[in-house]
Amino acid sequence: MTSKLLEVKGLHKSFPLKNSLFQQKRFVHAVNGVTLELNEGETIGIVGESGCGKSTTGRCILRLIEPTSGEIIFQGKDITKIRKQEMKRFRRDIQMVFQNPMDSMNPKLTVAEIITEPLIAHSIPKEHRYRILKETMELVGLSESQLNRYPHEFSGGQRQRIGIARAITLRPKIVILDEPVSALDVSVQSQILNLLQDLQEELGLSYIFISHDLGVVEHIAHKVGVMYLGELVEFADKDQLFTEPLHPYTKALISAIPKSDPDEVKERIILQGELPSPANPPAGCKFHPRCAHANETCMSLNPILTDVNGRKVACHLYQE
Amino acid sequence: MEYLLEVKGLTTQFNSKKGPLTVVDHVDFNVKKGEVMGIVGESGCGKSVTSLSILQLLDKAGEIKDGQILFKNINLLKKKEKEMRIIRGKEISMIFQDPMSSLNPVLTIGRQIAEIMEKHEKLPKPMVKKKVISLLNTVGIPRASEIYEEYPHRLSGGMKQRVMIAMAIACNPSLLIADEPTTALDVTIQAQILELLRSLKDELGMSILLITHDLGVVAEMCDRIVVMYAGQVVETADTRTLLRHPKHPYTNGLIQSQPHQSKGERRLKSIPGQVPTPDKFGAGCRFAERCENVMEICSSASPPLVSIDGQSSCRCWLYSDKEEMTI
Amino acid sequence: MANISKTLESLEMQTTLVKKQPSSLKLNFLKEIGSNKRARYSLFFLLLVILIGVFAPLLAPHDPEKPYYEALLHGPSKEHLLGTDSIGRDLLSRLLYGIRATLTAASIAVAITFTIGTFIGLISAYIGGIIDNILMRIMDVLLALPTIVLALAIVAILGPSLANAMIAVGFASIPGFARITRGAALTIKSSGFVEASRSIGSSHSWILLRQFLPNIGGVLLVYTTLFIGVAILDTAALSFIGLGAQPPTPEWGTMLAEGKNYIYQAWWLATFPGLAITSVVFSVNFLGDALRDMFDPKSMGR
Repeated sequence: MTSKLLEVKGLHKSFPLKNSLFQQKRFVHAVNGVTLELNEGETIGIVGESGCGKSTTGRCILRLIEPTSGEIIFQGKDITKIRKQEMKRFRRDIQMVFQNPMDSMNPKLTVAEIITEPLIAHSIPKEHRYRILKETMELVGLSESQLNRYPHEFSGGQRQRIGIARAITLRPKIVILDEPVSALDVSVQSQILNLLQDLQEELGLSYIFISHDLGVVEHIAHKVGVMYLGELVEFADKDQLFTEPLHPYTKALISAIPKSDPDEVKERIILQGELPSPANPPAGCKFHPRCAHANETCMSLNPILTDVNGRKVACHLYQE
Repeated sequence: MEYLLEVKGLTTQFNSKKGPLTVVDHVDFNVKKGEVMGIVGESGCGKSVTSLSILQLLDKAGEIKDGQILFKNINLLKKKEKEMRIIRGKEISMIFQDPMSSLNPVLTIGRQIAEIMEKHEKLPKPMVKKKVISLLNTVGIPRASEIYEEYPHRLSGGMKQRVMIAMAIACNPSLLIADEPTTALDVTIQAQILELLRSLKDELGMSILLITHDLGVVAEMCDRIVVMYAGQVVETADTRTLLRHPKHPYTNGLIQSQPHQSKGERRLKSIPGQVPTPDKFGAGCRFAERCENVMEICSSASPPLVSIDGQSSCRCWLYSDKEEMTI
Repeated sequence: MANISKTLESLEMQTTLVKKQPSSLKLNFLKEIGSNKRARYSLFFLLLVILIGVFAPLLAPHDPEKPYYEALLHGPSKEHLLGTDSIGRDLLSRLLYGIRATLTAASIAVAITFTIGTFIGLISAYIGGIIDNILMRIMDVLLALPTIVLALAIVAILGPSLANAMIAVGFASIPGFARITRGAALTIKSSGFVEASRSIGSSHSWILLRQFLPNIGGVLLVYTTLFIGVAILDTAALSFIGLGAQPPTPEWGTMLAEGKNYIYQAWWLATFPGLAITSVVFSVNFLGDALRDMFDPKSMGR
């Protein structure tokens, strides 16, 4: 029924730190062994707090940032191994929507020019361009009369529609959405989320939805991965993850979302301390200094992601 | 003296190239002693301008045109700038969304808090340092005596917000205005800061005016809520009533559009269109264009804010015939 | 049939799409210049100077190279409005003709600076890494020498003439210009839309032409204008020390040099060329400043 479209195996990205002359060269491990699977027509959400490496993961999949190691298998081919020129062919199938539509669009270009850029980049013949442009504008709910306007003439929600239009003009298979609704007001955010779901149905898209907002991810994703300091700590079906989170961090994260339901009684877990700096992560399990269940094993040994009842979690509590 | 703060008919205009724009239009609300009052609204609804108007911190382009701001029954708008300066910080203090821009990067944390104390209370220097360190402890900053000597850029976002809160409560104000205090923070840190604000409120017996776009945050923090839309108050009620039985179609739409309200439904309810800009406010109800219950009268006449059962009020023609008394 | 008409329609639309945008941007730009007092006045003055230069043969009262032996070193009079020089040539006529040499030299010099400087700056910022390091270290070394010294060295190699002087001035200004371009381009490089373009798979040349250039165009225009002022001064300076325009060509720098020998007997000889240089450079800088205000990054987002 569903087939595997993209597989990320042991993705790793480290950035060198600027260091003084005689120190040993040090690295920040921004993404540390992330493993994901994306099926056709599916949405996986990646959640985590700032600095957890979720955006870097998204950019590594597109090779906007070159991964240090790991495999990214798209349609049976490892795209980290192919040459940059060949990569262009794959970019047609994997597109991206960015968080801040104002920043991700050239202020000096018109909407028409912005949306047709992918068509030009991939040498779509001129005679088709206008038809595709028109269809795409319709799909995202923009009118043709807006084609000659500049991005700054639009509201935030409409701008994000333009950003989405640009990502789908080539009719890709996968769209990586990096915090696509974080900059928007609630009432507009829901419009965009609905649009994304409609497009997924109509065009058969698969999404990788990166967000810090668990409420949004709960709504839109089928599977969710939780990241903490560059590592995937839990990966499960959405329903499982939200009703019965396993990892202590996931539990705390879910309990920290303020709910607007005044009658919902919930157990609140308030995490102690701050997010450690990714440049200087704690030894052992990276979460142990803030974890209520930490024991001696956690301080010395970093748990690996293991299967627990059909889902994946990286925590010593669930390992024999 | 039931109310600590009473805002009556506050109207603030901004001068633009196209003439004055009324960004805050006859806003009424009040804050009782010891309560947390929330102002909720989307960007551009005038909630931040309202809070800045209370402290008269508007920049040159903004001007308060009309209304009264009664703080402990004294109209702040009648005060001179010099008197306001004493009220700011000592009686009413404020924290902002972006703590970095409100901290001076070249002064140590300790110096900045001490300055406020020295300004408002005449204390000998060693006493001040002691008080600052105990204040840093109060807001949950670990290693307070070390942090005292640190510069702002060395702290994380959550820590900076704690420092801002420490500065705000340095002189035991009776009202704390918090403008999106947790918007720039991660959820787990946000939970910490909200917890801190709650406990400080109880300890110090102050009132909080919390301005936010996040209904979840108000639900957890506030006793009562004011909903603003396009520069006007559209609904006020206690938190439970407002979230359970919203009256105004906008409030209802706002609650429904939150993703976790979808209850398994694939499509979210959303409000079509977008918030009008101040130059496009018409004669009718400002929400009419996006409203699903729109009637004929809505586009021609602006509905008054009417009181419903004395506790809550709503600005909508659906309710205005129920009780004709406007407040 | 339907297909063909659709294609035609789409082609038409595309051409209008492409055409509409630059013209409206240009119009806005001209409007803005018009509304800025400083920009308007300095631009007006410069255009007037250029026109005078173009129509010098009609406006000049005398032949600039014809000596009037009966009127050596005559002060300003009815016959010679600004006086004559040591071999009796009319100063006013020489000044008017001098516009041509001076402004042409400056423009060509700046054209050289602009083309090569922009290229080096863009490439350096865009590619980054080792290429950037090598290019910028070379620029740094060249920047360590004053422009005029660098220009002197180049003229010394090429030999003194006006053409060589403008090449020298043009090349000598490249390091400064390349640095400015690189700085402006770096801010664009880190912007989201360049990343978006890369994610789409656009080619490098497309990214440079469509994403970088329109956004640094304003900055480049401002500095090009300011560099014209510098170029006028530098070519005049080279001519002054005899390495630029050769007599009897009327050129302001050369005229100033000739005038300095008679500064006690004939004050007008050095004063008027000096004033001419000053006023033109002044208004070029004034225009550059006004443009800088207009392209201030803070007002860019509007």
